[in-house]
Amino acid sequence: MRVLSVVAAVAFLAAGVCLFSQSAHSGDEGPAQPVLFSHKIHAGDNQIPCQTCHSYAEISRYPGIPSVKKCMGCHSYVAGRDVEYTTQGGQTINIRQEINKVKGYWSRQEPIPWARVTGMYGHGAAGLPEHVKFNHKRHIKRGFDCATCHGEVEKMDVVYKAKDMTMGFCISCHEAKADDEQHKTELKDCLTCHY
Amino acid sequence: MSGESNSAKGGMKRRDFLKVLGVAGGTAAVASGCSEPVEQIIPYVIPPENVVPGIPRFYATTCRECSSGCGLVVKNREGRAIKVEGNPKSSINRGATCAAGQATLQGLYNPDRVRSPLRWNEETRRLEPAGWERAEKIFAEKIDSLGPGRVVYLGRDFSGTYEKLADGFLKPLGGKRYVYETFPYEPIRKANSIVFGRNEIPTYRIDRADYLLSFGADYLETWLSTVSNSMGHSKLKEVDHGKTGQIVYVDPRSGMTASNSDTWIAARPGTEQYLALAVANVMISRGLNRVAPGPLAGTVSAYTPEKAAAMTDVPAETIEKIARDFSASRSLAIGGGAANCGSNATETMVAVNILNYLAGNVGGTVDFSDPLSVSNSDGFSDMKKLVEEMRSGGVDMLIVHDVNPVFTLPGELDTAEAVKKVPFVVSLSSFLDETSELADLVLPESTFLESWGDYSPKKSVTGIIQPVMRPVFNTKSAGDTLLSVSRRTERLKNVFSEKKYYDYLRNAWKKRARALAPQKPFEKFWKELLVRGFVERRPAPVKVSLSPAAASVSFRPPEFGGEGKFHLVAYPSYRFFDGRGANKPWLQELPDAITTSVWDSWLEVHPDVARRMRLKDGSYVRVDLPGGGTFEAQVFVYEGIRPDTVAIPIGQGHTSYGRYARGRGVNPFALLPAAADRLSGAYSPLSTKVDVTSMRKRDLLVRTQYTKVQGERHVAQTVELDQIGHDDSHGAHKGEHRDFYPPKEYAKYRWGMAIDLNKCTGCGACVAACSAENNIHFVGKKQIARRREMNWIRIERFFEKNPDGSLDVRFLPMLCQHCGNAPCEPVCPVYATYHNHEGLNGMVYNRCVGTRYCANNCTYKVRRFNWYTYKFPEPLNWQLNPDVTVREKGVMEKCTFCVQRIIYAKDLAKDEGRLLRDGEVLTACQQTCASGAIVFGNLLDEKSRASVLSAGDRGYRVLEEVNTKPAITYLKKVKQERV
Repeated sequence: MRVLSVVAAVAFLAAGVCLFSQSAHSGDEGPAQPVLFSHKIHAGDNQIPCQTCHSYAEISRYPGIPSVKKCMGCHSYVAGRDVEYTTQGGQTINIRQEINKVKGYWSRQEPIPWARVTGMYGHGAAGLPEHVKFNHKRHIKRGFDCATCHGEVEKMDVVYKAKDMTMGFCISCHEAKADDEQHKTELKDCLTCHY
Repeated sequence: MSGESNSAKGGMKRRDFLKVLGVAGGTAAVASGCSEPVEQIIPYVIPPENVVPGIPRFYATTCRECSSGCGLVVKNREGRAIKVEGNPKSSINRGATCAAGQATLQGLYNPDRVRSPLRWNEETRRLEPAGWERAEKIFAEKIDSLGPGRVVYLGRDFSGTYEKLADGFLKPLGGKRYVYETFPYEPIRKANSIVFGRNEIPTYRIDRADYLLSFGADYLETWLSTVSNSMGHSKLKEVDHGKTGQIVYVDPRSGMTASNSDTWIAARPGTEQYLALAVANVMISRGLNRVAPGPLAGTVSAYTPEKAAAMTDVPAETIEKIARDFSASRSLAIGGGAANCGSNATETMVAVNILNYLAGNVGGTVDFSDPLSVSNSDGFSDMKKLVEEMRSGGVDMLIVHDVNPVFTLPGELDTAEAVKKVPFVVSLSSFLDETSELADLVLPESTFLESWGDYSPKKSVTGIIQPVMRPVFNTKSAGDTLLSVSRRTERLKNVFSEKKYYDYLRNAWKKRARALAPQKPFEKFWKELLVRGFVERRPAPVKVSLSPAAASVSFRPPEFGGEGKFHLVAYPSYRFFDGRGANKPWLQELPDAITTSVWDSWLEVHPDVARRMRLKDGSYVRVDLPGGGTFEAQVFVYEGIRPDTVAIPIGQGHTSYGRYARGRGVNPFALLPAAADRLSGAYSPLSTKVDVTSMRKRDLLVRTQYTKVQGERHVAQTVELDQIGHDDSHGAHKGEHRDFYPPKEYAKYRWGMAIDLNKCTGCGACVAACSAENNIHFVGKKQIARRREMNWIRIERFFEKNPDGSLDVRFLPMLCQHCGNAPCEPVCPVYATYHNHEGLNGMVYNRCVGTRYCANNCTYKVRRFNWYTYKFPEPLNWQLNPDVTVREKGVMEKCTFCVQRIIYAKDLAKDEGRLLRDGEVLTACQQTCASGAIVFGNLLDEKSRASVLSAGDRGYRVLEEVNTKPAITYLKKVKQERV
């Protein structure tokens, strides 16, 4: 029975930590990235539209992760200030040093191995499983704001999964946004996303 | 979780263990919700131009699986080729491909490809990896040390720019290049040379004929350009105003092609010539000929129907009828297969030519203006000479390129020993086959899907070959290898100015472009060529007249070696051709049309013989050939073969060539004597008589269909030509039309299909295409023996009887019927399968818990269960379609009507704010079908092709009486009066 109680205690602890951390979105609880790329600085402070970098969102199922070349398109000219910057989660970084990391990848001609935050394809635990097919293009063309699913990314230093992205989350919207009953049938059809 | 299982071992009670398991499971779930494992997402460093992830790109190229040269369009997603389709613009294949064409990606991604250059290590006695630099240097040094005329290049038919490069490479060395095709159709060429003075193979225009008389030419399987032939066959079979064409097939065995004819005539092997001559005799004596016979009248006068009947076992009335019909229609006589493989093959082909000549077909259905390139290949006698030369030390260097003579030349020649006598053997092949295995140096070639090139399958067409992706392995195109090696040699370093084969090719095309399109700037011409995939020029008509030699042929009776009781027919398989397809699991697992056997060889014997020898399906027999050769095989008892003949397919029995090919079945080539046709010197494997002995043991002959007849179920139905529209037997539209539930309503689409059984040939291209499109895994022979095959579409085959007692083989593609009243749906406890608003029977993998109730309740047995999580070995998995979920263990699956294609097309249509148009969505099976038997479409649209066909007179639904309301309407096969 000792084993049982130890396991139970561990479970409680783990659950507690988890509940605590998920309750407030103030820190840097998104996965650690190889470069501390701040969406807040890019999309918030500098008001760069999402699709400048995620440029396939309107034409393809996949939004696209910008290539290193695309980063360098700006950062060949923008060296970044040589100043300390403290993220919402309290990490302190030097902006120029972070940009220099990108330059390092470019000079080595290596891709930046980003950590997936809200992947919609592939098998990973972070993203949705492979049997869910999400089409960015259709949602953007329908006039959705990226923030509907991704949250206020322009306010995040370290991007985290803002919405739980469970099937209930998808369906609630598919139900609410339908034009009429027929459309609702179409939008709620299993084969819309699972095939 | 390992902690708990340890405790369990430590004496914990089962109940405690389960409690712990429950809590620990919860812990694991909570914990993983907290710190999720990080998955990486790797962007491009520099994005390739115009590549958008998620949007496929299509590249036109030319298929090199066989010599037909079909145009292909290859679908590329994120840099990987994932699907092969026919090029719809190509006049050869019009968007269709055969099963081997579909499976070509499993050659590209084959895990047993040669991954880098290999060099024979004398110490370890193995081929070991060597870098390109070193390997090419070794090759170059050998070339420089060669004496004049000591090198032989043995390659396949490369008609096009590469030939020039290879010849340019060999010329300074005094080398000789052989063009080796396993099936060079020498007797046809020789007969054409005798009768028409043209030593070539014309284009046989089946599409222009109403009456086809085939002497063993398996034109739907391997004979010449099979996809093109299938399209012609389909046109001939078109039913229009109560009329349709007729096909008569003469062969000792009813293979897939013969089974698609109206009449199969089992003439005695080797006597086909007498049948043809007697038909000609009747034509002349009755004045039915359209062209004056001239000296031919004398040639055929001796062969009266009565005399021929005695020689061939074909009644004189039948011969008379064939002659009347043949001359009354736009006819075509062709010869091949068994008739092309005897000691008198050329004589038989001469007789066939005489028929075409007398009926006035030359210039019509026999088109000499557009000869095929396979005409250029070297003959069997050349090969025999070459093998002798190698054996006697006359060759110092052998370059083998994409041919496998050790496997395909008759065993009597002992080609392997001869190759071993050659001091230095270089292989430019992509695979380690029986021949490349003997090489001292292997410079692996990129497959045609990774290389630049061109190929001219016939005079009128030249197809461009362009890479559809970067090489999978460290390989080079043969052109690049030759150029690079030549630069390293002393003797060849100034021969070529180009460094890359791409430049060599473009320079060659620059010359061509000046002739083809003098006004157009070359870059524009080139770009258009790459988009279109080929150039086509209408060839100038040629005048063909009867050669005086035609009348001098004497038709000798066939000769057979050996004292055995049975003729042995070794026939090329439409799945493996000469054996080259055997390393592709999709082809291994594609059930043979007649036997439905997979992953093996078999011996076909007649039921009378089986009864006499007490053989049943799966019985083992030993076959003894003259000269001591012997093999063992399992029996397939088949009515479609003469009692004095046994047959075995060619293609299996590899001793090398990768994990999927090696050690399966029998290679008849290895055992057959090197017999030759008397006039042309062609290889004549059908000159052998063998003995068959029962081994008194039996095992399961693994197949996908064990029933041979359909009983009273009327699954595959037929209708007499004159009964179309008047026939309501066999349960056509016999559904109950009563329902417990209100009728289903559809708003925009009701997807459905019409499948014309009169056109379906059973070729199985749809099966391979479906596997490629839908990530269907092969499962291997053992699993198939347990009925665990995964194919979503299968060809059902039934042996029925015509009213006159003759064999009536029927094929029926069976796939999910997307029933309006699906039996699978109500039995699913978790709603994993359901009927959707567009009439699709949806299958939701993530809901499925694997009860298999649905499969048990399916009327059509089309549901497949994943007994395991099947894994493709790297890099075969690169082919997987990213638009289709890869299923795992415990999940049911089945045909989806290619829902991913419907959704993709709808997405594009939505951009334009419209609904889908008819023909916009092609299912994978439909797209590849050469005969156009499958038509998919919206049944709500009365004008859609699927609706129109479904409403036709021949339409019926399989097992309609059980009221499943299938979305697939089959069109009955049309039967007509047999000759």
